[in-house]
Amino acid sequence: MRICSWKSIIATAALATVLASVSASGQNIPRLADGKPDFNGIWDRPRILDITRDSNACGSGAPTKGCVQKGSGELSYTAWGREQWSGPRFDYAARCLPWGYTRAMQTAYPIEIMQTPKRLAFLFESNNVFHVVPTDGRKLPENQDPSWLGYSVGRYEGDTLVIETTGFNGKTWIDTAEHPSSEQLRVTERLRLIDADHVEQVVTWTDPKTYTKPIQNTRVWSRMKAGEELMEWWCMENNKDLLEGHLVDTHKTGNEQ
Amino acid sequence: MKATLAALIVGLLVAPLPAVAHHAFAAEFDSKKTVIVKGTVDKVEWTNPHIWIYVDMKDEGGTVTRWQCEGGSPNTLTRQGWSRESLKPGQQVSIEGFRAKNGSNTCNSRVVTTADGKRLFAGSSFGQ
Repeated sequence: MRICSWKSIIATAALATVLASVSASGQNIPRLADGKPDFNGIWDRPRILDITRDSNACGSGAPTKGCVQKGSGELSYTAWGREQWSGPRFDYAARCLPWGYTRAMQTAYPIEIMQTPKRLAFLFESNNVFHVVPTDGRKLPENQDPSWLGYSVGRYEGDTLVIETTGFNGKTWIDTAEHPSSEQLRVTERLRLIDADHVEQVVTWTDPKTYTKPIQNTRVWSRMKAGEELMEWWCMENNKDLLEGHLVDTHKTGNEQ
Repeated sequence: MKATLAALIVGLLVAPLPAVAHHAFAAEFDSKKTVIVKGTVDKVEWTNPHIWIYVDMKDEGGTVTRWQCEGGSPNTLTRQGWSRESLKPGQQVSIEGFRAKNGSNTCNSRVVTTADGKRLFAGSSFGQ
């Protein structure tokens, strides 16, 4: 517990430092021709195994600095949610099924943002998948078919890009610590450029079937140095863990991940 | 200054960064069962989602046992400065790791050390 507290203090201090150093944000950020903030780039992010916890290390392995994760602290489950959380289960990602949207956002591997005035795409190195976010004013579709990554729309509120994502299939976990979600999950992300090389991402999960109140994380992503590119990453290439039967069912296992 | 910088770079390379798992650590390995695998590298698979190091370990009676130990992903290791040629077949190696829960001669490598004392691919997905 003491370690957690220190980590929390360090993450909070790191976050405060980054935010304070750029309190006059908006002055020197890159912009598209239409004046919108320009998020194009390859971003290193904190690797987040557990959304309840803090972390301040960039995940990619490159010596990038400045990544921050401020976790949510303890979660408040509904009866259904607690049942999902405490039961034994097998990690679908070990079978190389998709991470799910927010778990994909939390891997150690970098993401690239490709942005035009009316569309933005996240390219995930992990599993080499993509996710498109229209920003042309359309509404979220109704009667969405359930999906792993959900359906997103984005809008700009000043210099903040707000992305709403729904239409999940309920099969994904919010994180590798196995926090469950349902098809009622709604994810709201608020992205803003703190400066030319840092993005603040505030993520809010709302899932009334699983949790009694919204969950929030605040993160800082750091731009990777020029010359870095996304690499190949195929989960099933040499997935001996699965193919040779090393894997076992898990459930909540304390600090082990 | 150069020496300091070199030391810093080496420090970064051997820092205990996590091997990146695509599943929970506890789904495969037992953090309470540590193992030291010492022997000759037969091959290294520099593949996603994890690299694998195959080691032939000889006991005092001369019996050879084949071990396989999982490491990080090529992507993360490459960005840490390692390459597919950092460890080669025929090299003597000592791997400190955690055993697989299924009882096979499989481990998650925590520390990989070559005969000349160089530490490679440092890190484990445990506790991260």
